Amino acid sequence: MPRLLSTALSLRRDPRLLKIPPYVSAFCIAIGVVWLLLLPLDDYSRRTYVSENALLPGQVHTYFGGSEQSIFRGFRHEVDLLASKNNYEVNDKLESILTGFGVKVGRQNYTYHSAGEIYSGENVYGILQAPRGDATEAIVLVAAWKSIDEQLNRNGVALVLTLARYFKRWSLWSKDIILLLPPDSTTGTQAWVDAYHDAHDSKHIAPLPLKSGALQGALAIDYPFEHRYHELHIIYDGTNGQLPNLDLINSIVNIAGGQMGIETTVQQMAGHTDSYQDRLQTMLRGMLYQGLGYPTGPHSSFIPYHVDAITLQPTGEGWHDEMAMGRVVEGSFRSLNNLLEHLHQSFFFYLLMQKNRFVSIGTYLPSAMLLAANFTIMAIFLWVKSGQPMAKKGTADKPKDGRNLLSPLALVATCHSISAIPLFIFNHLGIKTLPLAFLLFSVSSTVLPAAFSFLIASLHKPTSQFFQLTKSFSLLILGVSLATLSTLNFSLAFLVGLLASPLTFIQPTKNLVTKAFLAILLILTSPPVIISSAAWTSGVAMSEVLKAASLGWNVWGMYTPIIVWCVWWPAWLIGMTNTLSPISKI
Amino acid sequence: MRSLLSFLLLAVPSALVSATEYHEQLNLRPLPLSALLASFNFRANTSIADFEAQNFRLFPRSLGQILQYAGTRELHLRFTLGRWDAESWGTRPWDGTKEGGTGVELWAWLDAETDQEADEKWLTLTNALSGLFCASLNFIDGTRTIRPVVSFQPEGDHPNTTLDNTRLLHGVLPHEVVCTENLTPFLKMLPCKGKAGIASLLDGHKLFDASFQSMAIDVRPICPSEGECVLQLEQTVDMVLDVDRSKRPHDNPIPRPPPSHDLICDTTKPYHKPDDSCFPVDHLRGQDWTLSQIFGRTMKGTCPLTDPEVPPVCVHIPSTRDIFSAQGAHEIKYPNNDSLRCYHIEQDKEFTLILTKPEAPVDGEVAPLGIVKPETPVLYAERSFTGHGQEHGGMQAILTNPGDDTVEFVYMESLPWFMRVYLHTLSARISASSPNTNTSAEIVKQIYYRPALDRARGTQLELLVSIPPHCTVFLTYDFEKSILRYTEYPPDANRGFDVAAAVITTLEPKAMNIRTTSLLLYLPTPDFSMPYNVIIFTSTTIALAFGGLYNILVRRMVGANEAPPAAIKDKVLGFIEKLKKKKRTVAAVAAGGSAKPATGKTEAK
Repeated sequence: MPRLLSTALSLRRDPRLLKIPPYVSAFCIAIGVVWLLLLPLDDYSRRTYVSENALLPGQVHTYFGGSEQSIFRGFRHEVDLLASKNNYEVNDKLESILTGFGVKVGRQNYTYHSAGEIYSGENVYGILQAPRGDATEAIVLVAAWKSIDEQLNRNGVALVLTLARYFKRWSLWSKDIILLLPPDSTTGTQAWVDAYHDAHDSKHIAPLPLKSGALQGALAIDYPFEHRYHELHIIYDGTNGQLPNLDLINSIVNIAGGQMGIETTVQQMAGHTDSYQDRLQTMLRGMLYQGLGYPTGPHSSFIPYHVDAITLQPTGEGWHDEMAMGRVVEGSFRSLNNLLEHLHQSFFFYLLMQKNRFVSIGTYLPSAMLLAANFTIMAIFLWVKSGQPMAKKGTADKPKDGRNLLSPLALVATCHSISAIPLFIFNHLGIKTLPLAFLLFSVSSTVLPAAFSFLIASLHKPTSQFFQLTKSFSLLILGVSLATLSTLNFSLAFLVGLLASPLTFIQPTKNLVTKAFLAILLILTSPPVIISSAAWTSGVAMSEVLKAASLGWNVWGMYTPIIVWCVWWPAWLIGMTNTLSPISKI
Repeated sequence: MRSLLSFLLLAVPSALVSATEYHEQLNLRPLPLSALLASFNFRANTSIADFEAQNFRLFPRSLGQILQYAGTRELHLRFTLGRWDAESWGTRPWDGTKEGGTGVELWAWLDAETDQEADEKWLTLTNALSGLFCASLNFIDGTRTIRPVVSFQPEGDHPNTTLDNTRLLHGVLPHEVVCTENLTPFLKMLPCKGKAGIASLLDGHKLFDASFQSMAIDVRPICPSEGECVLQLEQTVDMVLDVDRSKRPHDNPIPRPPPSHDLICDTTKPYHKPDDSCFPVDHLRGQDWTLSQIFGRTMKGTCPLTDPEVPPVCVHIPSTRDIFSAQGAHEIKYPNNDSLRCYHIEQDKEFTLILTKPEAPVDGEVAPLGIVKPETPVLYAERSFTGHGQEHGGMQAILTNPGDDTVEFVYMESLPWFMRVYLHTLSARISASSPNTNTSAEIVKQIYYRPALDRARGTQLELLVSIPPHCTVFLTYDFEKSILRYTEYPPDANRGFDVAAAVITTLEPKAMNIRTTSLLLYLPTPDFSMPYNVIIFTSTTIALAFGGLYNILVRRMVGANEAPPAAIKDKVLGFIEKLKKKKRTVAAVAAGGSAKPATGKTEAK
């Protein structure tokens, strides 16, 4: 041990050692990115399998069909008649239909305020009590009146009504079946799920008059069009990038594909050829949705409450009809009905490459961790370096043994505390002022570092130690935050880590060309620029993006804005300040 | 108690308790939509003298000997499955006195001088009954047993002297699944063993396919004002059948979609087109059934031992509906109750009953209900968990009084020990819409609370509550979820833990029982899978190794002579030490020759 100690000590004094960390950092970034690109390969991803034996997907014969189709058409006519009615009239009719089957019906009013707009409506839901059950468990079937694309979900709603009538005849249900018909795909389910778990704001959201037991799973149907379809699109991303249990997706893929002969697809990848490119594209799309943390369908609201949920969306032109869809739902409900325990066996953290190929957290996590580690390594390196005596000069000006921590800490704290400003304004301003506010913010975000560097230069004669320490603290916070985040929302951590990676390598320089280059690089990777260019690339108006972000924050409790404004932006601010600062003459 | 049996006594006004007698009766009551309540009642009396002499005739020996051995004065055993839908079905059969919470419920008055003796007898009783009824009653241990104070009163006639020496114990198994293996011993206890009489209708397939079913066994001593005391064994089966489901043939029980010409559609809809679009209206169609269809068997005459005075089958249905019975049966109508019809049956003949379809309403007329309208219950009760997460939770009971009288009742909960109730959070809130503004204290009048002991006994909570007319009361309290020991989790740990139903005993305006549904409580559950154990283990190792390595690499190590000058704190401490030393030296000098140790000490420093 003493020998090891002395070797370590002598190694520590080796000046060559201090040259390594920047390369290690760069290496971490490179490995992190390459790691991600390797994942779609056969050697790194795995085929999916059903882990929970109780599910037995596709093992039952489904009987939905025959004369049920006449009834389905009858209900679809009813839905069509209601198309122009308002929310309450629609719910009156739906309630009367559901009560006719002997389903208990409840209603719930809700109002959300976001970006100066009011989102209100009334949910109607029915509880089909398990014939021999004891109200301890329930599964949910959702059909929003308006589909994800804001169309009338006419087949979806009619199918839910027909299935409810059909399910009522079976005596085998071990769990209650809740039929939820919210007015839209976004806010309605959230209000309902919150109220079901008594986590709602009782000022704006009414409590539920009827309740059943613990929710075991939820399935949403998004089926607005009439023509026959080719495949089923499974939407599985939850709020804040949380995912449903992989077993649920596997079961549906198994039931639809194995039993009904319906193709399934994920992440809008119709015609997936299972090539490396398609796999990579599927994975990157999945990561993008996960990273945004924005709910993708009516199912998304369930997942934060540990209720596994997905949305089924028929797509493409083909020969499958609504009865086949009904049989898929029947088969899935029969599988969920078999569950003895809450879904817990399979994975909750995964990236899907294909409907039947995935990588689990153990395999993909290192890539985000390496990106986060690059910041931490650099932070430690800078801390060590800041403690080293100055190499060149060492007389009066030299800081006395130790570090001057006060001013670097003050700068870092200031930058982090002003990050509350964008977080507040983007989540509280109205839709009319939001684009203007964003523009003003972008400008001030660019000007602020220059102002800071000027202030620092005039107030306090900054030494290189000052810059080393500010950067060290800032990178330390970034590294720790991203490492923590990568276990919660891998994709967000990876994306932010990648976009913030230039921050590792910037430093004050005397060379004006280098300085200008660094400044431009930083401006290009600044949060406002990235957001607006992403919006521009995807063809969405900036105001829409801001409105959606505000809605996400106010309704779903999406934490992406915190990561962007309170983790990434302050780090960028400090990086930019450092770049622009005139280096002291020492 | 006998007043509660009005349901039965209505039909049997002349039923008097005699020393040895047996009678049985089936009451059928159609309920809204396609539900049908069938209440089977079997009652056997035996004189106490015969019982004590072990002279069993109508009373089953197997049960009698267990009762004698365990010193049981009064016994109530319930097997229940499903839930009673009070909103559409109204008042419970027998006013809820003959049903239990989901699973198995048992309460008994045992002869015991001390609590310890009672516990021993209770153990004997539960284990013996467990064997007799093929139920896991032996799992009713100390943690599931409570001693209710106000909720339960003895139903039989006990002399005061014996009652003072008895103890009431109550146990419940909410997770027990009631099934055919419990029905068989139940039927074996009947004098006709399910071979004849109304018991011949009890088929496990239909009974356990019912939407609600409850089997009850009550043993109680009855002392009429004249004559000798008798021990009464009452067995009850209540079931709510779904007529549509029950009518499906035995060999084809799958509810396939019917052929399209069998659909009952609303032909007035503009889009109605046969074989294409149909708006179903089958729920408006009334019930029609035959006895053999819904029970899957025919009734084989009557039990020869039964009291011939009591009609074995009664139907509660408006007099406008037509019922046909098998030949040889004799219909009785009651002038004071025109919605009741009873049937006397010949002993050896098969009996059947046919309820025909109600007449189709003339166009434009609202279809009559075709059934006796269910009575509104005195109280609606609903209970659910609030909150989410694995640490804390809340319980909410919603109690609604729909009537015009104030309802007073005892609300009893028997909670498992791992649900740690915070009693200070107990609050009763009256619905804002009601005109009354009672405070919590006025609603909950009395609290009896026996806190849980970890792994030894559960929480017992009894509340005396009164609700003004047309009010809803929200009774809420919070609790904390305990973390169990690794081995205390059952194999299906992620399913959750069942919490028994709350028992509500109304005192005013009339005595009846209501039970809420049971609940499923999620506890924090460790991940029992191998990869997580590996992750936890490796993380610990890495953390330990990292600590040491980091120390070596980062900590600055310097020689003692290179150490920086002491900080102010050290200086001050050193100064104080110096002062002390000085003082000591002075003291030592004053003491004379004992200066040496002091010097030694100084050197040591």
